[in-house]
Amino acid sequence: MERSKTNISDETKTAYLFNAPLIIVAVVFVLVPVIGTIVTSLMRDVTFLPEKFLAVENYQRLFSDRHFYESLQFTLLFVVVSVSFELVFGLAFALLLNETLPFRGFLRVVILIPWVIPIAISARVWELIYNFNYGIFNYIILQLGISDQPVSWLGSSVGAFIAVVISDVWKTTPFMAIILLTGLSAINSDLYKQAKVDGTNFLQRFFMITLPLLKPVLIVALLFRSIDAIRIFDLIYVLTGGGPGGSTSSLSIYAFNYYVSGDFGYGSAVSVIVFLAAGLLSVLYIKFGKFRETLQ
Amino acid sequence: MNVKLWTIISLLFMSLFVFNSCSEKDDNFSIWIGGSPEEVDFWEKVINDFNAKYDCNLILVRQPTYTDQRKQSLIISLEGKQQNPDLFLMDVVWINQFIQSDWLEPLDDFAVKSKFKTEPFFKRVLNLVDKYDDNLFALPVFMDVALLYYRTDLIVQPPETWEQLKELSLRIQEEQRKTNKSFDGFVWQGAQYEGLVCSFLEFIASNGGSILQNDSVKINSKENIAALQFMQDLIHKYKVSPENTYTEMKEEEVRREFQKGNALFERNWTYAWQLHNSNDSNVKGKVGMTILPHFKGHNSVSTLGGWHIGMSKYSDNKEKAWQFIKYVTSYEVQKQMVLTIGWNPGRKDVYEDKELKKKLSQLNLLEYVFDNTIARPTVPYYTQISEVIQRNVNNCLANKIPPVEALKEIEIEMKNIIKIYGEK
Amino acid sequence: MREDEIIKLLKAVGVIFLLIFCLFPFLWMIFISVNKNPDFLSPQSEFVLTFKNYFEVATSNKFHLWDYLVNSLVVSIASAILATFFASLSAYSITRLRFPGRIVIPLILLGFSMFPQIAIVGYLFGMITDFGWLNTYAALIFPYITLGLPLALWIMLSYFSQLSTELDKAALIDGASRLQILFKVILPLSLPALFSTFMLTLIYSFNEFLFALMLTTDYHGRTIPVGIALFEGLHGQIPWGYIMAAAVIAVIPVLLLIALFQKYIIQGLTEGAVKG
Repeated sequence: MERSKTNISDETKTAYLFNAPLIIVAVVFVLVPVIGTIVTSLMRDVTFLPEKFLAVENYQRLFSDRHFYESLQFTLLFVVVSVSFELVFGLAFALLLNETLPFRGFLRVVILIPWVIPIAISARVWELIYNFNYGIFNYIILQLGISDQPVSWLGSSVGAFIAVVISDVWKTTPFMAIILLTGLSAINSDLYKQAKVDGTNFLQRFFMITLPLLKPVLIVALLFRSIDAIRIFDLIYVLTGGGPGGSTSSLSIYAFNYYVSGDFGYGSAVSVIVFLAAGLLSVLYIKFGKFRETLQ
Repeated sequence: MNVKLWTIISLLFMSLFVFNSCSEKDDNFSIWIGGSPEEVDFWEKVINDFNAKYDCNLILVRQPTYTDQRKQSLIISLEGKQQNPDLFLMDVVWINQFIQSDWLEPLDDFAVKSKFKTEPFFKRVLNLVDKYDDNLFALPVFMDVALLYYRTDLIVQPPETWEQLKELSLRIQEEQRKTNKSFDGFVWQGAQYEGLVCSFLEFIASNGGSILQNDSVKINSKENIAALQFMQDLIHKYKVSPENTYTEMKEEEVRREFQKGNALFERNWTYAWQLHNSNDSNVKGKVGMTILPHFKGHNSVSTLGGWHIGMSKYSDNKEKAWQFIKYVTSYEVQKQMVLTIGWNPGRKDVYEDKELKKKLSQLNLLEYVFDNTIARPTVPYYTQISEVIQRNVNNCLANKIPPVEALKEIEIEMKNIIKIYGEK
Repeated sequence: MREDEIIKLLKAVGVIFLLIFCLFPFLWMIFISVNKNPDFLSPQSEFVLTFKNYFEVATSNKFHLWDYLVNSLVVSIASAILATFFASLSAYSITRLRFPGRIVIPLILLGFSMFPQIAIVGYLFGMITDFGWLNTYAALIFPYITLGLPLALWIMLSYFSQLSTELDKAALIDGASRLQILFKVILPLSLPALFSTFMLTLIYSFNEFLFALMLTTDYHGRTIPVGIALFEGLHGQIPWGYIMAAAVIAVIPVLLLIALFQKYIIQGLTEGAVKG
């Protein structure tokens, strides 16, 4: 008994040592700035005004600002729509790449291409594709006679929303597909053979075997993607700048605009809201995904 | 194994810190400038010459080109009271905020000590943006205004009033559309971005209107309603400006349309002149340039743009920084700037240079326009006001709301902003 | 038989769709990069083949393309190595050792990753400047470690939990320390997982824009995404050809890495994923 007791404390010590580098980096480079941001959100921190403690006044202002709600609404809609499309395409690609195919290795490299190109650059490519006067999308639309007027992709709020979603889905579907592929290839192929013998068709097999067994990985993939999507910044910043009319202004863009205008307190309050929204989302996922059980 | 491994890891770590933490000598000081590679090339040359001439160690730190990103990086380091940058270029609309945030070193003492004269500069410009409470905080390095470009092969006499511009546009547009379907009468900046505030201000001010006077909101006036109505009508009633004016049209979109030969008139900044007359331009040699039109009974105005140099309050090398301000605003360097990158000098006397006048015929016109330029509201919360104007004016141009409502909405939102940020 | 045919058809359609989906914007990028007129689709313009864009960005000093590329590679490789290493230390202890906080650590890290970057960049700037790291590799490497950490930890956790603990026990009896076990027994068995964690965290860092924009000031520290964003002119003139040519050059080394390690990436992810 005594021996095992000292063993435990040794084990704990080793464990903490092992976790130290990771925790130190996270504390110094994330936790400290985060706490700073939370403190700032309680202050009047405007570059051209004297600093003053406001308690929750920034938050009150935020909750009475129409544009904050529009921004929140856009962000949530964006997360739901784009992550759904990413899920559908990602799952389709994962299923495909899990099959025996000619050139499978090549395809597995190809699918990573969108993810490798930095957003700041691929957003530029999309900007060119959506261009009103000489973009390929409008060229195709006009040539095929779908419409006799070019579409103002980035100039109308609906067009801009679609444009942002398309670019984001393109960019991040590969990530989804790769993560889901890991789950798929872990499913024992004997299960499928057995089910086939039992006379099921491939749709039944998908819903009875694939989907249930894929669920833990699916939840993880959704979690990572949703957290990323709710913070979306680069893509929108380069592609639409939040316009037109603030219709694609995500919460991060909304916060950024206040930082640029010099109101750090208010910008920080918005950031804290993004953090809380992402937190809430992941609590839901973790609850439904039984993340804890998976770890134990 | 254990010890060896940790040694390697810690060595790797240490090398990261030593690597690149270049020897920060004490006499180093820095200037932050953004721009395209060509523009930065020019600045590099200016700085090298300066360092050689005065035996200094000024370092050029390259900022992004996007105005917002440039401002954000400056705000963050100034708010953090960093010693760097010592010097930086500011867009005219930032200067007031920077002054009121107490980030800029007043230049008066330096000027007195070194017998520096402000007379060669445009007095109007200095008073509009560079001076505050009788102190000088910045000096113009390069200035910009908007002009009216027109096709000399299609019309003889440029219009003086907006009304004439509309009439000419209607007539020529009808003629030209027989052969060129994408021809438009007048292209200008109407997309939702900072440029829209500039064109909006020109329309209202050339009808005697304004946005803000001494912190009181003047936006909802009948002059402004009429001017905004005219802007909307250009697109929707007279149809001389294309549908995408309020969705796509920024400087470059406007310039390209005109340069392709698809427009009779163009509102744009001075940079377009050189490009319109470049070899791959469809309108080379067929372009005229003049002051913007005005409404009947009022005067033409043009919004002031451009970049001014200022010195950080937190600089630890102020004497040398002042030396560079003097250098960069000197006659020689300013002249060199026009010749190399085609930027309009911030000094008035350069516009009288004989050699330059021979090469660049537009200098007389520009000098006149700079003497009659107007500034966007000089308040520290300009960014917020600009956002409100952009959004509502753009909505109006899109024909979603009538001018009366747009201006009423701007008035309400502006008053709200002043309530939050207007405290002294 | 009929079902097989449907599946075959679906596969063919799927492959074609995948190729178009993934490659179209990439090919468009290449297409623009070898084109004199990026607006060649408008009636007054035309397609003119040229390699001038590549030549200019690759040889002209003012673009600093090679500096940016080297910076990008150094920063993302270093941060990916460190993130992978830190994550495997941590994952090992979580899967092998019992200690208070075992479950909480991964959750807290996930929480960390939720703060919008835009909100912490201001404080980071102040810290990095105080450290004297501005415009150095260290300024980006450490913040980047935190970017990919949740993903890295998840991959390593899944993989390690599939490895039998019998190996550890045997090594412990032989008197090996935990660190020795990790390095001599576990990691050599986990090469695929290490590769895939390395590659995925590398891509995270290679993509990052905002931190790089704020924490570096010139070509000594700037990375590719920010470097290319600097090509633009003052009035929004966008030199499309240069941007696209530089982008193609920049993406190639990472694509080569992926092509090289492709087998391991998938293997590393899949072998660890057996869960119920």
